[in-house]
Amino acid sequence: MNLLKKNNSQKDINLKHLTTSSTNSLPQKINPFNIRILTRDFFSNPLDTTLTVALIFISILGSVNILEWLIYKANWNIVTKNINLFIVGSYPKEYSWRPISWLLIILIISITTLYTNLFKSRRYLIWIIIIPLGIYLHSGGLGLKPLPTDIWGGLSLTLILTLSSGAIAFPLGILLALGKQSEITLVRFVCKIYIEVIRSLPLIAVLFFGQLLIPLFLPMEVEINRVSRAVLAFAIFAASYIAEDIRGGLQAIPKTQCEAAEALGLSKRQIFFQILLPQSIRTALPSLTNQAIGLLQNTSLMAILGLVELLGISRSLLANPEFIGLYLETYVWLAFIYWIICSIMSLLAKKLENELRINQAKE
Amino acid sequence: MFFSKKLILQFFSTIFITLVFFILLNNLIINLFRTDMMFDLGWLNQPSGFALSENSLPYNPTNSYLWTLLVGLSNSLKVIFFGLILSTIIGVIAGASRFSSNKLIRILSSYYVIVIRQIPLLLQLLFWYFVAFLNLSNTPLSILGNILTISNQGVRLLGIDISVEFSALLIGLTIFTGASIAEVVRGGINSVSIGQWEAFRSLGIKDSLGMKRIVIPQALPAILPGLTSQYLNLAKNSTLAIAVGYPDIYAISDTTITQTGRAIEGFTILLIIFLILNLIISFAMEVLNKIILSKVYKY
Amino acid sequence: METIITASKLSKSYSLGVKALNEVDLSVFSGEVVVLMGPSGSGKSTLIRTFNGLENIDTGELEVLGVRLGSFATEKNILRVRKKVGMVFQQFNLFPHLSILENVTLAQIKVQKVNKEKAEAKAMNLLKKMGIVEQANKYPNQLSGGQQQRVAIVRALALEPTLMLFDEPTSALDPERIKEVLDAMRDLAKQGMTMVVVTHEIGFAREVADRVVFMDKGKIIEESDPKSFFTAAKEERSRKFLNQMMQ
Ligand SMILES: Nc1ncnc2c1ncn2[C@@H]1O[C@H](COP(=O)(O)OP(=O)(O)OP(=O)(O)O)[C@@H](O)[C@H]1O
Ligand SMILES: [Mg+2]
Repeated sequence: MNLLKKNNSQKDINLKHLTTSSTNSLPQKINPFNIRILTRDFFSNPLDTTLTVALIFISILGSVNILEWLIYKANWNIVTKNINLFIVGSYPKEYSWRPISWLLIILIISITTLYTNLFKSRRYLIWIIIIPLGIYLHSGGLGLKPLPTDIWGGLSLTLILTLSSGAIAFPLGILLALGKQSEITLVRFVCKIYIEVIRSLPLIAVLFFGQLLIPLFLPMEVEINRVSRAVLAFAIFAASYIAEDIRGGLQAIPKTQCEAAEALGLSKRQIFFQILLPQSIRTALPSLTNQAIGLLQNTSLMAILGLVELLGISRSLLANPEFIGLYLETYVWLAFIYWIICSIMSLLAKKLENELRINQAKE
Repeated sequence: MFFSKKLILQFFSTIFITLVFFILLNNLIINLFRTDMMFDLGWLNQPSGFALSENSLPYNPTNSYLWTLLVGLSNSLKVIFFGLILSTIIGVIAGASRFSSNKLIRILSSYYVIVIRQIPLLLQLLFWYFVAFLNLSNTPLSILGNILTISNQGVRLLGIDISVEFSALLIGLTIFTGASIAEVVRGGINSVSIGQWEAFRSLGIKDSLGMKRIVIPQALPAILPGLTSQYLNLAKNSTLAIAVGYPDIYAISDTTITQTGRAIEGFTILLIIFLILNLIISFAMEVLNKIILSKVYKY
Repeated sequence: METIITASKLSKSYSLGVKALNEVDLSVFSGEVVVLMGPSGSGKSTLIRTFNGLENIDTGELEVLGVRLGSFATEKNILRVRKKVGMVFQQFNLFPHLSILENVTLAQIKVQKVNKEKAEAKAMNLLKKMGIVEQANKYPNQLSGGQQQRVAIVRALALEPTLMLFDEPTSALDPERIKEVLDAMRDLAKQGMTMVVVTHEIGFAREVADRVVFMDKGKIIEESDPKSFFTAAKEERSRKFLNQMMQ
């Protein structure tokens, strides 16, 4: 009898919200202002009614106050007068086209990735080239006037930090995840220790000691600037988390996959790179997205250690007598920027997730 | 073949790792020797000489660095302890609110999580410190009679004085971690099959009671591991205390290292402290996990 | 005869626009056993779940035990009905973290405010009648499927319901366990309990049902006494369904 197939637990989980379960999203034909639905969702008993009324009252009061502040009370001078500082830091005016054009390129590529099918097959390559391009545009050389890293700042520095440390951390994380399962005892041991130690440390400590200790482990002659040290420290930190995510993804793959691949006569390397790794990345994608967003948000910690990325530049502006006390304006503005970038990142991740799913379906 | 491929690989990778290790160590020793900073812990007994804005253990600047670090650790433990309790309360309430029968509450609790997670924690802490607390007037504002009074000088709760720095850090950490815990709780509750809801509802049991007696107990096994990692995050994130001027273990190590130049030693000490802290939290949660599981599932 | 359920023109659709119920009319009288049949997705579960307010209807009138459960049903009314209506599910849905005894006494203590001793005495009595009293202090996952389902029946009966709803109570059971649950239901019917049962057990329907209701695509297609339904169904769709079932 295949008449009985539906599985209750797979029903729309929203059912659970409702005393008189019905789905959360309304059927098309029913008017959302239907009194029955309003009653069910907002006024189903006296307590609910009181709560709803109180919450609506508070929300309206809150929104009115916030709007009033945003429009009339806030002093946006700190933003409008310093918009270039927020974007490129104290990068000299005559050269600021370099970071700005890089930011524009990123924006354009994000939009084309999200909403068009242009360069679809080359997309990964383009996203990888973005990083060296950004470093080249910022630091110069090869025809552009070389400029030192201490003048990098603002949004462009935030993105340089995020993207380059991400680009190092991702392969490093994969290597660590692999190493943790290696047959070679010492490799396994080193990877395990690395992951455990770094994951137990607070990021600010990793960054601080990154600044102090990285030069100590390098030969005397090698000089390494603050931005590179920060990028390395971020990468060292993020890799240990990425490694755990990938490992989680690897564990989620059923053993039969491996056996099936072996039976097909694939070599160990082929099995890993063509079967295990792509699948584990696919499974780990949601947590990897969280790592990426975390990485972006955490670049703000470099403000404590003296880099003038988004938060750092704001702190130095707030120290300026002209803008003293404009904390709330600055923080709201920063929150807005971070929110936009986080949203773009989530959208890109969703897109990637969908594409991977479609590829999987094709396989 | 006498040497298998695996053995050769084993051999060479071991050599390679050892070599890298020695090169790094060699560089380190040369650099330390050059700056006359060989590993040494003697300075821990010297007086630290700096003032602390607050201390949970008795302290004055003539105390040794070692004692100063301990005071910092106690300050850290204080904020972590209260943070764990408060963020758990907020997280459980916000997570369970996602299943409220009132849609407005569902919407608000989901916004709480979304908004908090889109903004860097550091920014939030600065907000609580510079905007929420330092903007208060310096004449105390009384809430709930005299139980709670707040001003930009500090908070007084039931006669206990709490500094602005501590309050801002605690509130910031609590609200940030609470949002993550809310997600953990929501995931745990979602893992309980919908049949359980239907079963208690059809017995005439109200949602609030069913949540408490039927759903949450079954969600706990799924919630606890996530909770542990949020607690570990909270402990690590408490080091952002330095941004609001609260003298926690990291802030004090930072000052100590700047004064003494003892980076390697400072790093080692901080590393050991955090390894132990992590172990304690993980272990405590493991025990709690066992107790709860044996309470919930008595068989 | 007293009416227990009066449903007229019940309609309900889900978010994807599926019409799970399409103008369903049905009355159930006191002491009656009504069996609902129909292909998968025909709306049997949806219908039976509206009778205790687990499912909300969009339009139509529904009265259960004198309480209106129409589209304006309040939480209070729903709770009133649920206290008087027992329900048994395909997946048993026992509370896995509570012992059998606690499963049976929880609602008595919390909803009916009966004291613990009384609730336990009643639970033990019912478990005894059901032949599973030795299991009282075990936990659900230590019981066989058939035993679990009988506990679920006891759990509902402990509240002394006027109406019992069964949604495919034997579909998740091993064939050799089906009988013990059907026997329990048969006894219940003999005692005069009003029952609405979704089941594919033709033998049970033939023997116990007063009426068989056949549904398809959210509509009631045919309603008749079991004998005529199983031997000479009027509708083409019912016959087709029965043919498939017999195979
Ligand atoms: N939560 C839900 N969301 C969307 N559609 C649903 C939901 N529950 C049921 N449906 C749909 O409503 C219709 C009726 O479903 P119902 O569960 O009542 O059928 P059924 O007759 O009980 O089937 P079965 O014999 O498989 O249990 C089906 O098309 C089903 O897919
Ligand atoms: Mg069904």
